[in-house]
Amino acid sequence: MIRLALRNTLRNRRRSLLCALAIAVSVMAIILLLALLDSMEDDMRHTLTTYYTGDVRVRHDQYTHYERYAPLHLNLETERAQAIIGTVSKVVASAPRITFPSSLHVGDRNRPVQAVGVDFIQERHFIDFDHILTEGALPDPGSHQVVLGLGLAKTLGLGVGDRLTLLAKTAMHGTNAISFTVSGLIAPPVGMLVANGLYLNLSSAQRLLMMDTKATDIVIKAQRATDLQLLAHTIEDALHQGGIEGQASAFMDINELYGFLATAKLIYWIIALIFFILGSTVIINTTMMVVYERMAEIGMMKAMGMSDRRTSSLFMLEGFFISAAGAAIGLAIGIVLTFILSKVGLDFTEALSGIEMEISSILRPQVDLVTAVLVALFGMVIATLSTLIPSRRAAKIQIVEALHYV
Amino acid sequence: MSRFTKFVIIILLICAPLPLFALSADEIVREVDRRSTFATSHATGTIIVTDRFGERVSTFEAWAKGSDKSLIEFTSLAERGQKILRVSQNLYLYYPEADQLIRLQGAALRQSVLGSDLSYEDMTKEKSTLDAYRATLEGTEAIDGFDCYRITLTAKSRKEAYPVQHLWIDTQDFVIRKAIYATETGRELKEMQLLSTMHVGDVLIAQKSKLIDLLKRNSHTTMHIEQLEINMDLADSLFSLENLSW
Repeated sequence: MIRLALRNTLRNRRRSLLCALAIAVSVMAIILLLALLDSMEDDMRHTLTTYYTGDVRVRHDQYTHYERYAPLHLNLETERAQAIIGTVSKVVASAPRITFPSSLHVGDRNRPVQAVGVDFIQERHFIDFDHILTEGALPDPGSHQVVLGLGLAKTLGLGVGDRLTLLAKTAMHGTNAISFTVSGLIAPPVGMLVANGLYLNLSSAQRLLMMDTKATDIVIKAQRATDLQLLAHTIEDALHQGGIEGQASAFMDINELYGFLATAKLIYWIIALIFFILGSTVIINTTMMVVYERMAEIGMMKAMGMSDRRTSSLFMLEGFFISAAGAAIGLAIGIVLTFILSKVGLDFTEALSGIEMEISSILRPQVDLVTAVLVALFGMVIATLSTLIPSRRAAKIQIVEALHYV
Repeated sequence: MSRFTKFVIIILLICAPLPLFALSADEIVREVDRRSTFATSHATGTIIVTDRFGERVSTFEAWAKGSDKSLIEFTSLAERGQKILRVSQNLYLYYPEADQLIRLQGAALRQSVLGSDLSYEDMTKEKSTLDAYRATLEGTEAIDGFDCYRITLTAKSRKEAYPVQHLWIDTQDFVIRKAIYATETGRELKEMQLLSTMHVGDVLIAQKSKLIDLLKRNSHTTMHIEQLEINMDLADSLFSLENLSW
């Protein structure tokens, strides 16, 4: 039966290839899309945990509720909080940050920026500043110096050594302004930070914002494969026991877009099902055509004793071979294309310019063999099952009806 | 003298004094401006800001020359050394640790002063109210037991911060006892309530007033003038950019 089905499949190679290609294209497209989605998820995870939240972020427990008012007075005693956080197992490192809206003034020009006060030494566990520094140097400890995103510097016509003034609302609800020197320029992989990023010493930010030794955020790096949500609960409990009103959140609970990516993956599997069904219509149509073409042959086989069940199985096997070939071709092309794109990268700089998204401008889809094979198998199964319709039609053909075609 | 002639004389005697009390809206507004503008002044006071996060107090010292030059220096700890200079429509901010003066213009003027309900734009009031608004006398009404003229001001151009203002002006002392600032469509934005007054020379001025932001919950600012001297010598150089940086 298997040899017969295989021989029948190869009788009209062009037609069989055409059917297989319909499945191949669907498999290849879904492999590429899922690889892209995986790379977006990985990239976003890396970007969020490096530049924004750490694996876990701690804030004053009222801060997030009033976040739109930039409530700098809702802050944390960094030394005490970090001491407590350091006692929790699975915590590798922590670093204090102050993220605050400010107005950057250069002469008569001004521009709103989101400035971040950091301890450049503690940040080495998070942001590799040395790697993203393109010109100049990091601010000297304790100095009133800043590093600017390359795009921001270009927009304002600033270079290393130039002066600028930051005006911001303080934790005491007034305003304050301090002038700084640009010590360096940075080019992080995130477009938003290149266009608007500004980092300064934590001590300078505390002075500007009248925050003493406090910070708005403490970002935490955890050991690999840690359950981050559980870790966040543990840290929060430890802080409350230590008398600190802190709220700890795992990064995936902070960023809505990251959560959406996980949902998007599920949606893509549903899209995959639709793609494969559409691809399968080619096989259904072709197999139906084959059934009518081989009507006489079917009548002959039935007259010689082939049962309805075996007739149906024969056509399903033929469909299976075409689907398998299509899935295999799609899998191979999909893997090769994904590999090429992972080296070349997809540049979304233009598309993402002006959009506030915590994702790199250049994405590199990653080959995940397990996912790719699953997609191919999924496609093959859907396509094979779709040949059930013409196969059952073939099974129902009466010998008398078939012999009319002799 | 005929009966008719006597009747006319009596009527004239009764009606004659009336024109002295029938002030027009423009006259009332001019009188308010006249009484609230001094050649020079020097004041100290406090601003108490109340919002969803609680209450905070700032203290200041202010100098003014006419109605288009003023200098405010904050003396409270949180803002020590910070200054605001206003010369005509230009507003400059000085911060001790900044190299440059921050000039506020355009949309930046709508930002609030010290997080209060007072905006920088509120500080750039025109020399004469009637230059920017048309005044209409709506009648009289009592506010806190004081008879007041009810005046409606309608902006002549779209660049005014408040297209419509409703003022309740004391008929005796021409001090504004209450004001409501609104949009063109009548949506009320802020309300000013006069809490206390003080005599300065022969005029009565607002000593303590409360400005309520009607668009926010539980948000108001109370301004209290503790001391005020007027008509002393103040050099023009006090209101210069060079002086601001010292």
